[in-house]
This record gives sequence, structure tokens and C-alpha cells, in this order.
Amino acid sequence: MIRLTIDDREITVPEGTMIVDAAAQLGIDVPIYCYHQALGPLGACRICLVQVEKMPKLVTGCTTAVQEGMVVHTRGAAVDKGRKGVLEFLLINHPLDCPVCDKGGECFLQDYTFQYGAPAGRYDEPKIHKLKDAPINDFIIIDQERCVLCQRCVRFMGEYVGEEQLLLEGRGVDTVVATVSHQPMDSQFSGNVIDLCPVGALLSIPYRYKARPWNLEREESVCPHCPVGCTTSVTSREGHVIRVEGRPVAGRNWGWLCDRGRFGYDFGYVEKRLLNALVEGREMSAAESTRTVGRWLDAALTDRGPESVAFLVGGQQTMEEAYQVARFSQEVLPGSRTAMVRTVEGYLPSGLNGSFQDIERADVVVYIGGDPYDAVPVVHLKVRERQRANPGLKVMGVGAYELTRDFHGAKNFTVKPQHQAAFLAYALAQAGTKSQAVEHLASQLGTYVPSLLNPVTPEEIQALGRTLLESEHLVLLWDGKEPEMESVLLALRAAREDATEVLPTFGPSNWRGWERAGIPAHFASLQTIIDDAAQGKISVLFVVGADLLRDYPDREQARRALERVDHVVQVGLFLPEEVQLYHAVVPGAGWSEVYGTYTNMEGRMQVAMATVQPPGQARPLRTYLNSWAHALKKSFVLESEWDPFDDDSGDFVPRESLPELRPVTVPEPSPGTPPGSLRVVGFSLVMEGGMPSEILAPRVPRFPGRISPQDAARLGFSEQGGELQLEGTMGKISVMVAPDRRIPDGILALPYGIHGSPLNQLGEGASVKAVRLEEVSLG
Amino acid sequence: MKPKWQVWANEAKAEFPKANSALLPLLHRIQTEEGYLSENTINDVAELLQLPVPYVESVVSFYSLYFQKPVGKRVIHVCVGLSCALNGSDQLMHHLEGKLGIQEGQTTQDGEVTLLEAECLAACDLAPVAQVNLRFVAPVESADALLAKEVNS
Repeated sequence: MIRLTIDDREITVPEGTMIVDAAAQLGIDVPIYCYHQALGPLGACRICLVQVEKMPKLVTGCTTAVQEGMVVHTRGAAVDKGRKGVLEFLLINHPLDCPVCDKGGECFLQDYTFQYGAPAGRYDEPKIHKLKDAPINDFIIIDQERCVLCQRCVRFMGEYVGEEQLLLEGRGVDTVVATVSHQPMDSQFSGNVIDLCPVGALLSIPYRYKARPWNLEREESVCPHCPVGCTTSVTSREGHVIRVEGRPVAGRNWGWLCDRGRFGYDFGYVEKRLLNALVEGREMSAAESTRTVGRWLDAALTDRGPESVAFLVGGQQTMEEAYQVARFSQEVLPGSRTAMVRTVEGYLPSGLNGSFQDIERADVVVYIGGDPYDAVPVVHLKVRERQRANPGLKVMGVGAYELTRDFHGAKNFTVKPQHQAAFLAYALAQAGTKSQAVEHLASQLGTYVPSLLNPVTPEEIQALGRTLLESEHLVLLWDGKEPEMESVLLALRAAREDATEVLPTFGPSNWRGWERAGIPAHFASLQTIIDDAAQGKISVLFVVGADLLRDYPDREQARRALERVDHVVQVGLFLPEEVQLYHAVVPGAGWSEVYGTYTNMEGRMQVAMATVQPPGQARPLRTYLNSWAHALKKSFVLESEWDPFDDDSGDFVPRESLPELRPVTVPEPSPGTPPGSLRVVGFSLVMEGGMPSEILAPRVPRFPGRISPQDAARLGFSEQGGELQLEGTMGKISVMVAPDRRIPDGILALPYGIHGSPLNQLGEGASVKAVRLEEVSLG
Repeated sequence: MKPKWQVWANEAKAEFPKANSALLPLLHRIQTEEGYLSENTINDVAELLQLPVPYVESVVSFYSLYFQKPVGKRVIHVCVGLSCALNGSDQLMHHLEGKLGIQEGQTTQDGEVTLLEAECLAACDLAPVAQVNLRFVAPVESADALLAKEVNS
């Protein structure tokens, strides 16, 4: 530790801390443009000049590490004069267009010029003109004249994200930030450069000319789109959400967002938003619908009892709403059942749930089933950051295709679909441990020997097993696809001396929170209700916030269920698929419209504030619950808000003790995919994610399916891809696919739970005959 | 990519311990033959030296003697440094523009001449200074003389 004095105050900080960070700890604000803790020192902008005693000249506080006994002055005549000089240079060619600049009012160039700058410039020559108002992709506009060349955006994309899409072009006063080869940026982290830009050079297109900072309301929120639960701040103006920004939390996250989270905020206003109730094909007010639904409920209770009523929770419901459903089910309709709508069948016991801090410590990160870049994008950045800090970090992938992107020294084990649990059990058994749990696993495997789809030696499988068992800080990211994996993970936990931290990358985003609120999380609970419904045992089925046909893994079965139920009532933001199967669809309120708590994949509870009114007739869920209870002449009063936070576990949901080991099913030796057929594998793709967004429309992949380049060539597709026709037991379905070099031959990867992805019509692991759909030529 | 570029890349790499150092000589060698460095060329060079494309693009855009657009058979640089400016380089440039019928930074339609400005060429005693295909012509007496002697001959 180093002790130093800053502005006459003493502080002790770790060796290697930069002066600006030490000052920040004392609450002393040193102006900064180029420096960012996550990116490291650069010293490009010179605005952070400070005076250090016994040093002959001013030094930059962001590149000067603290020294024992250092005496620093962050203000004073010399420092202020230095900063004034720096600003004069920065402003030489800066246009005077603050009045029309979106950054005006929250701009560090304005603020520091106000604080330190000269009242007038001494430079009379004409300003250099550069490119203005040029889009660098569908969401971001660049104004090169306003740029102070701090290079934050260039370094973020290149060094931090590893997608080099921005660069410095030219020299001297002509230097500009530009995209590589002048092509649009297509990184899903592109929006972060808007937050990073300290001036008005990189601005959001959807937010362009929407407001001035003093018109705005800003509320702290949490991104609801994926299980990462990124902290955000939501900007609204006159009852409309008009912007989402990353919200850094000191010591926990830098406030990075993916473009889905940053720009996908308009789902509340899209044309598809439900504004009125629709009961048996008739539009009516939400209030009127509650009486009809109440009559149905009353009849169901009288005729068939509360056992014939079930509630399914899904989508983006808060923990509080899930809790209200659970209590309504218990108190108003004791005997009725609840479940949550899941797209995958796996379950992770909370006792195994790790946190993002485990990634910050990790020696080994193993991706099981899916690529976090697709499912939980910001976690990809966290793993990258770990590899920057610890270049020895091993990243491994176990899945039906290559998962590890460009991580240094990464190793992939490409196994057949639905063989992941068996393969990992096999790898553990090969490692030669004396652990009972692993021996128990091994005994169930019998003579199973995995055959992999990529070249892997038996020694490498053995090494994987040993790495899993022996590495000190192990983090596994699991996509929840194979339910048997739970047992493998539990056995691994039992066999290891050190902690085993698992992060579930599967949705729905808030599933752990609903579990805490009392909604059963296991897939079996959902399956039982759906199967009962399909057999006509359910009279009233409430679907809250989910689109059952889209999300349930077996679409046909879900359809049968909806067809056989007497009355299906949907509370949601949008019309569900095949709305004619629903007897009532009532408009619900959602994220940013109701206050609520969300639990992320760490099991961390975070609060999202309400900022705007729900549009039209949309009501919070509790309003419906109250009026349905009223229609049954029962009282349902939620006297106080439920407090989900726990005494002992704080922000985290309490970790339950680990369950008993369950048997691992050894996969049948698959018959091999017949020639001309592909085997179906599901993956999560947050960029689609199922929530409609007009802003994000240009980013939604045109080709949601992925096949190997060899298969694409065999089927006669161009490099771009095309329409694939699939034939199986379900009839003929077509889907847009593109070649992807990470996909092995014979595999068709399809995203979960989105419109236009026929995954749940085909079924995970299904073998389908695939032919290219001939392009229809017009004229 | 031309097969011999691979050979040139290996030769350049052999001369220096790091790939970055081989970049400038390799770019020069390719430009000498190709006349300019197209986007495809930049991608090829990045691949040859295993450098990020943006890095190569930044380097090419940084140095004024790398051309990202085709240039004429003769490239005239007119120095606009202080000494040359005091000795009439502005008028010289203006006259050249008039004679050639192009603006600074442009190439004549027949693809013969490209006219560019240069920062101080470090020959102030000979101001005003010009270069034709990097060969000094100084002091320049007039635009006519320069064109007659160096371009139209």
C-alpha cells in the first residue's frame, strides 16, 4: 500500500493506482476525457493535469502512478492555467454548435470549459471542417468536428471488446475517428461508445433531437432482456422512455450494455402493444374484461374446483408480480397450481449458483451448451476482461458447435446434441478421481464412450476432467439444455475441494426471482400443467407475460393444451401467437411501467424503478388479481409490498442446500443422421429475444438459423445463406439459414423462443430432412 | 493478393524482429508496383503480417506518401511550409492548378499528373520547393517552367 497526500488529505491506496483514481476515492474530481479505468491509462487528452510537489512540470494524473509520500495538488493557479491551455487547444477546431448538440447540458467539454476554460479563444483562423452527422451504423451518428480524439471508443472496441471496428484515420489536425474500411459497425456492443464519448461526437440516433438534459427524468433500472440484469438508467420525457444508458456500479460493473438492452427499450410503444382487452374476439375495456374473467373463474370453481385453475408466469414479470400470483393462487384459489414458462428443461440448484465476481477470479471458464456472446452478451465482456487480467485463463467449450470465439488458447469439445451431460460425466470419470460422486456417475455410464465432432484426443478429454476437478477457481456457464447436467454439476461439486461456481445463462431473465417468490421453477411443474390441460383437466388457464406457443419447447403439445382448456386468459404486453386460441387477452403493464425487483443469473436482486405510465388500458397485474378476487366475492388485499431481500444473503437470493444426486441418463447411441438430414440444436439469441423493437429492427438477424459452410455448399446456398425447407413428422417448415464456420456438419442451430424460428415445432435433437427452397423468381 | 507479396512479406519480416516494423517497407514496395494501396491491398497486407486491419489502415492514412486512391504517373508535391509560402508557393500552387485544370489533391483526367501539397520538405534555402515523383525541383521558377521541364518533357 502507498500513502500519499492529495489536496492536503492523506490516503492509502494499492501500488499502481493512478493519481486520478486515488483522488476519486477522496471524492476529488479531476477532469478526464481519455482515461477509463477499464481501458487503462493512455494520456491522450492532457486535461487531467495535476501538480506533484518536487516534480518540475505538471503531470497527467491518469498516467502517473502514486508513489510513497507523494504530495499532489489537483487545483491551484498552475494547474488551472495548464487545463485552460489544454482546453484552448481542444477548442481550436471545435464547432460552436452546442445549441443543437444532443450532448449539450451533459457534456464534459462544456462543463470543463465552463470551469477552467478561457472566456474567448485567441485563434482567429477558420476552423477545419470534417464529417458531420454521419451514421456509423443504424444507431450511432458521428460528428468528427466535435471529437477530441480521446480514443476511448477506438480502444473500447479494439482492446476491450476485441472487435476492431473503429480506428484513427489521418494525422495531426486531420485525424478523425472512422470505421474500418468505412463499413458500418456491426458489433452488438457498439452502443457503448455513446456512453464512453465524453463529448458530442458519438450520439444515439434513436435519441437524436428528442430532448435536452433538463427536460428529462432519469430513473435507475435494470435491463430486463436477458439474465445478466445489467444496471441501467432509463431516461424518459413526458411519459415516454426515450433512452437507456449503462449505469456503472462501483466495484461491480462498468455499465456496459449490449445493443439489445440499450436500444430495445421501445417495446412498450411498438404497434403490436396491446392497449385494450380482447375477450372472445370483442375489444372491450380492461375493467369490463375482469367481470367476464371473474364469471369464468366462478363457474370453474363451482363446477370443477380450484384444481382446474392454473397460472403460468413468464416474460418480464417482476418478482413482486410473481409473488402476487403465488399468493392469489394460494389464498383466493387454494388448490390451484402455478408454474413458470421455460424454454429449456434444465434447472440449477441455487446452492451451485456463482456470481460475476467468480469470473473476476477465475482460472478456468467452461461454456456448456451455448455461447454467452449470443445469450448473455455482457458476460462475454466479463470473461474477456478476466483474460486481459489473467492471460492464462483457460476458456473451454462443451457443446454441439464451437463456443469459444477468439479467446486465446481456447479448447472446444464438440459433442453430439444431447450428449453433453454424458460427455462431461465421462471426462470426469476418466480423470481418475477417488470421489464417490464421480464413481457413482461413472458406474451409470457403463460402456459409454463419446464420439466427438471435432478432433480431440483421449488425453485431452482426460485433461478436461482433471481441469474440472482440480482448478482452483472454476466457473461454468450452462445453457440449461440438458436436465441431466444438474446431476453432473452436483457430482462435480461433491468431487472438488474448491468451490464450483455455475452461472445459468438460460432465461426467462427473472426465473430465479420468481422461484424466490414461490413459483415452481422446475420444468416438470410446467409440463404437468400443460399435459393436464391437453387432457382437458384444466378449466381456466392464466398465462401471465408469456407467449406459450412461442416459448414452450413442444409447440404442438402447447397448442393441444390451449385448445382443450375452457378459458385461456392472457395478461401481457402483446398479442400472443395464434390469438384465436385465447378466450381473453388483457393488456398488462411491464418494465419501466411498474416498480419491481429482478433477480439476475447470479441470483442477485436488483430494483427497477417505474418511470412512465402504462399506455392505453394497460394495468399492473395486481389490479387484475384484485378485481378477479372481487368478482369471486373474496378478498385479496396485498397490504404491504413484499420484501424479497433476505437478512443473511443481502442482495442475493438465499442459497438453498444442495439436493440429492439424480441419475444421469446415458444417451442412446444416436442412429446417425441420415444423409440429407440435419440435427436440430437450440441456442439463446438475445438480439432477437422475442421482444418487438422497431429501433432494433435493422439488427435482427435475417438468418436466424446456422449451418456449417460445407452443408451450405452441399445444399447450394450462397455465402449469404437462404431459405431452408425442413421436412419431418411436423410437415414442411421453412427457415432462413446462413453458413457459420463454427457449426459442424450435420447440425442446424436455431434460436429459442422467437418468431420465425421453428425450433419448438421440430424439437431439440430432432433429425430433419433439409433441402434448399428454390428462390421464386418474379417475372 | 499477388504471390510475390508473400515473398516480399517474408523478406521484410526477416529484416526486423517484429511484424509491425516490416509494415512500412512492405507497403512501400507494394505501392511502388501497384501505384496505390487499395482497401483490398490493406486487407492483404494485414493478413500477410498478421496485423489487425484497422492498424494497417491507420498507418496508411497517417503517412502522406501512402496513397489510398490511384495517382497519376507524375506526382507533384508543392511545399507549403513557411519559407516556401514567403517565396510564393501559394501562387505556384494556384498557377499549377490553373495549368493542369485540377484542384490540389486531384489527378488530371488523362491520369498523367497528381497535384498535392506537402508540409516542409526541409530545403528552405531553395524555396519555393516542389517534388516530382519525390525528386526535388528547387527553386521553382514558375509553374510553366516546372511543367515544361518535368512533366511535358
